[in-house]
Amino acid sequence: MKFKDQVVLVTGASRGIGAAIAKSFAAEGAFVIVNYLQNEKAAEEVVAACQALGGDAWAIQADVTVEEDVNRLAGDVLLEVGKIDVVVNNAFKAYQFDPENRKLAWDLKWEDVQEQLDGSLRAVHHMTQAVIPAMKKQGGGSIINMVSNLIARPVVPYIDYTTAKGALQSYSRNLAAELGAFGIRMNCVAPGLVYPTDASKHTKEDVKEMIISQTPLGRIAMPIDIVGPVLFLASEWAAFVTGQTIYVDGGFVMN
Amino acid sequence: MERAGYFTGLNEEDVKYEIREFQGHGKTLQVEVPVVTTEQLLQIAEGVKTASDHILKSFSVSELVRIIDEVIARLLDRDNLYRQKAEELLPIITGFDEEMVRLGLTSQLKTFRKPQLQRFLVEDFGNPLLLDDFQPRAKGGHSKAIGPGLMTHIWAGNVPALPLWSIVSSLLVKGGSIGKVSSAEPLFAGWVAKMIAEVEPRLRGCLAVVWWPGGDEEKESALFNASDLVFAYGGNEALTAIKNHVPLTTKFLGHGHKISFGLVSKESLNAKNAAETARLAAYDVMRFDQQGCYSPQFFFVQSGGQVSPKSFSQYVAHELAVFEKRFPRRALSKEEGAELFTWRQKEQMSVFSEQGKEVIGPDSGSWAVVYEPLKDFVLPSPLNRVVRIIEIEDFHEILPLLVPFRHYLQTAGIAASPENLFHLSSLLAKTGVTRISSLGQMTAPEAGWHHDGAWSLLDLVQMVDIEDNAEVYAEKFASYRD
Repeated sequence: MKFKDQVVLVTGASRGIGAAIAKSFAAEGAFVIVNYLQNEKAAEEVVAACQALGGDAWAIQADVTVEEDVNRLAGDVLLEVGKIDVVVNNAFKAYQFDPENRKLAWDLKWEDVQEQLDGSLRAVHHMTQAVIPAMKKQGGGSIINMVSNLIARPVVPYIDYTTAKGALQSYSRNLAAELGAFGIRMNCVAPGLVYPTDASKHTKEDVKEMIISQTPLGRIAMPIDIVGPVLFLASEWAAFVTGQTIYVDGGFVMN
Repeated sequence: MERAGYFTGLNEEDVKYEIREFQGHGKTLQVEVPVVTTEQLLQIAEGVKTASDHILKSFSVSELVRIIDEVIARLLDRDNLYRQKAEELLPIITGFDEEMVRLGLTSQLKTFRKPQLQRFLVEDFGNPLLLDDFQPRAKGGHSKAIGPGLMTHIWAGNVPALPLWSIVSSLLVKGGSIGKVSSAEPLFAGWVAKMIAEVEPRLRGCLAVVWWPGGDEEKESALFNASDLVFAYGGNEALTAIKNHVPLTTKFLGHGHKISFGLVSKESLNAKNAAETARLAAYDVMRFDQQGCYSPQFFFVQSGGQVSPKSFSQYVAHELAVFEKRFPRRALSKEEGAELFTWRQKEQMSVFSEQGKEVIGPDSGSWAVVYEPLKDFVLPSPLNRVVRIIEIEDFHEILPLLVPFRHYLQTAGIAASPENLFHLSSLLAKTGVTRISSLGQMTAPEAGWHHDGAWSLLDLVQMVDIEDNAEVYAEKFASYRD
């Protein structure tokens, strides 16, 4: 029980990678806040699964791109359980990962980029602002931001999405530098293509095969593959690790 | 609850349905399977025969190609109701991984679109118009190909969508069909029959899909007697039993158990291509958990390449481990699990007595690779992702090993240079192998292949010749005679 009595907030946790992360924390004894945007039923299923796995959980609706929502979310958690040890910023703005119909550079509007920046950087910024006071008071905390291995190798140039994730990586490094003084660590996890998730369910086989052919471990990541590095970064095993990005893509990218 | 089967001419209320329960991937599905009486069976058969003679035979072969193409297009459409049903229910029924079923459906369906169907026809007939009308022959005279009035199909359930092959074949040659589904997979054939009727309502009575317990002598003898042709998939015992019920005047075509294998030459085992060769070999083993007649049971791997056969087997092992994550093997029945466990124990024990032998695989038994030096015999695989890799020096060494399987050999997947491909093919053709494919394609035969060395369409028809002399003779009686 690595996370017994710890409070872990996972955004976008009703499905896919977020749900897998929430359940794994619960299996290690954590109290998990399952944040969701729309799908209450799915979130409640994750809560039930967390409880069945031996942890506890609580589903809270909030749009993480809206500052008031994030403040309400953090406020509710702090009011009810008094602390937040770990935040996993996993939620992201809905994005269609479709290599055949992505926007080409010359068709891209600033609004597209803005939308993605809002979905990743802005959401994390609000969340960070909301939890820093409590984490400072606690004398530490771990914040993990989900980015993408596309920031290191844009094998398909999803320009708006990847640029926003790149900005988030940069933001994380800066905050790691600033917040280290309070024992607050901030790191990134950069998955490759994860299948199956709602975002990747329409990814064509030839794209998967192309990635697999250049992946030393010979397959596509599954949601459960992302969990280990997230738990590691959240744990005391990573007590001296901050400002880092762990690539979880079977060796497709090597940094 | 899902209802299997399809027929016209009988009230559904008059037919008894048996409920079968399937469990897979944590879900339960109940399927109602129509169990017809002998009288009902004959009544359906009579109806199909009449529809076949009066309606189906009035369609041109190009119209039938268009209709099949439309059915296939609908099944390839992920938003189509039947396609969605197939993706949802076939994994529960067969136990196969959902992704494997989805991809398997698409890759099989793709081979039945219009261009492939046309190729299929040309492959067997040269001139497909032979199916529509008498066509002039190079030798003189005319010929026409007549499809069966009634063809009985007996399907197996080992590979999803298997009935498609014979349904499409019988339709192309304008044969009316009555098919018996496998109790292991009773749904797919009925869906196809319904879709054909939806695309071309006039064909609604030309195909029926039912079920009866295999080996029922009364039903089988009665139906086979009424059929021009019986086409069956199954184990050799089941096929023998079926054949015993087929009268001499009815043609019998059976596809029984087969053994397929791969050959990996040293030129496909260098630093650049060995991993890819292993991946394709593992893919063929993984696909449909080796349940197909074309699934490889062992690989002969040549030494002398940069990567040794032993290392190759380790590459294959890793690829099988990776595939197990991406396309997990279906849950085995207790008997299958026990059989595999016993096999594994025996293989592992033999490692101590057989020098050089290695058994690689997880404790869960979800896949296994056995590497062994050449012996004077080779054992077939217990299947379910278990493969034997045998080191050889020279490909001639395998010929005596294949002799016991003479009547069972089917596909050989080959990784070799062009010269070696044809050299090996000549050797293998003598051993009984009927299909040679690349690695990675063993489980996806191309449209118009000669299944077990036979003609897919030509074997279903009867040729009718008008001899040249009849034509010359007829001239004597022409009204326009001067």
